[in-house]
Amino acid sequence: MSSNGPPGPYDQVPEARVSKSSHTTATAPSDAAGVDRRAALRVGVTAAMAVGSVALGFGLRERSGSKKTRDLPTLKDHRAEKPAGANDMAIVRGPDPAANVRRAVEALGGMGRFVKRGERVVIKPNIGWNRTPEQAANTNPDVVAEVVRLVVAAGASKVWLTDASVNTPEQCFARSGIEKAAKAAGATVIRPDASAFREVNVSGKLLHTGDVLFPFVEADRVINVPIVKQHGLSLASMALKNWYGVLGGQRVKLHQNIHLSIIDLAAMVKPTLTILDATRILTANGPTGGSLADVKQMDTIAAGSDEVALDAFGATLLGLNPNDVGFIVEGMKAGLGTPQWHNLKTVELGG
Amino acid sequence: MLALIPPAFIGWMVRDGRRAPAPAAAAAAQPRPSGAEADKTLLALFEGDLGGAKVKDKVGLYDEKGLFDYIDGAAPIFIERHYRKLAAAEMASAGGDDMVCDVYDMAEPANAEAIFNAEKSATAKPVADFPDAISGPMSFVFRSGRYYVKLTAFDKKAEAALPGLAKALKGKMK
Repeated sequence: MSSNGPPGPYDQVPEARVSKSSHTTATAPSDAAGVDRRAALRVGVTAAMAVGSVALGFGLRERSGSKKTRDLPTLKDHRAEKPAGANDMAIVRGPDPAANVRRAVEALGGMGRFVKRGERVVIKPNIGWNRTPEQAANTNPDVVAEVVRLVVAAGASKVWLTDASVNTPEQCFARSGIEKAAKAAGATVIRPDASAFREVNVSGKLLHTGDVLFPFVEADRVINVPIVKQHGLSLASMALKNWYGVLGGQRVKLHQNIHLSIIDLAAMVKPTLTILDATRILTANGPTGGSLADVKQMDTIAAGSDEVALDAFGATLLGLNPNDVGFIVEGMKAGLGTPQWHNLKTVELGG
Repeated sequence: MLALIPPAFIGWMVRDGRRAPAPAAAAAAQPRPSGAEADKTLLALFEGDLGGAKVKDKVGLYDEKGLFDYIDGAAPIFIERHYRKLAAAEMASAGGDDMVCDVYDMAEPANAEAIFNAEKSATAKPVADFPDAISGPMSFVFRSGRYYVKLTAFDKKAEAALPGLAKALKGKMK
């Protein structure tokens, strides 16, 4: 594990450091520059933060006002009704990632519970990084391919697969192995070029509007397929955090209040099903990783419709208390689910 | 009203305020390079002999805001340690195998040491005859002066080329 202490659950990126420009960076520790300069710096940072806050507020008002947000599309509620007696959550352990996916979905009632014949479906793995599957920064390609196969078999008329990569998309989609595996399984892979985004209402507490990959606007069903990994700022990246990958534009603004931004996006998407990939997990130096020294083989898949519950379970795999993870707590407060996954109707198989 | 604060005043504070702690004597003896000079020095690390490795396309430079677009939520731990700029490139080894080279200019050696210690994986191993370096499978990480360097491979052949690239880079950092 990284030897730096993790931030507390509600620690945020200091706004002055990241939100405006490098002009408001560090409040440096005592140094040779002297007290006067430090005092000036403090005044300057405070002033710049104030300027930035005013500017940010103006920008948000202007953005929502000038675009007449009421005219922008709002994403559908993609959730499916739960049949009486169905399981809420399935946790499957075993050496074959595809088999784990099949067993987990079957334990929930089969893909037909979530996808009806003729529906258009978008699948959202994490393809953020120029990393191989072994480096565990992206979702496992065998997991993704099996999800595609199940959705195709359920009779979907269209199966999109997409993500707004952090690194160069061409590298991420190829190096991760996901593009090749998903295409072979029957998905239409959408790389996040400029033409792939549509402006929509987010209607969140922090995020008012945003440019979203078009399949999320058009799809009837949304399936989230995140990987479990450590994250330097939010402690963990799993289901809820994976929605950062629907948005285009600079990512810095999302990190000003990372937990609430995550919840804004999760509340916007309202996915149909989430399949949490813990085949390999990244235990330190996330979200980028790189060294296999930080990777742990877990051979686990968890599936369900409650992203908060799934993230709470995923947090335990990282050795975290779910109550210490800000976006899990905020997700519960926002009514997106419960971190008490043990209290749901959960089935555990294998292992 | 606040918007009337002269940008030049803020710029002055930024230039001076973001610097990391440094001994007064050293600061007086060695004037710091300007941002442009430091960028030039940073980019020059990717020129010439790199142990047989070559930059595949171009070297990307990332400032504080841009860092989020490259490493997302890992950016704050660099920013908190007074990171100045990142130069990153996809490279090919002499055998044509892909590697990624990330050189973080941390502004001061103390900052480079701080991030090196913060990111050190528990199971990574020290490298013989290469002080302040660790290697894990597919990874070689070291610090030298104000720089913190992360080299990443994607297969065993590229992994074998990482130490050569590291030595070449360190040689340029003297």
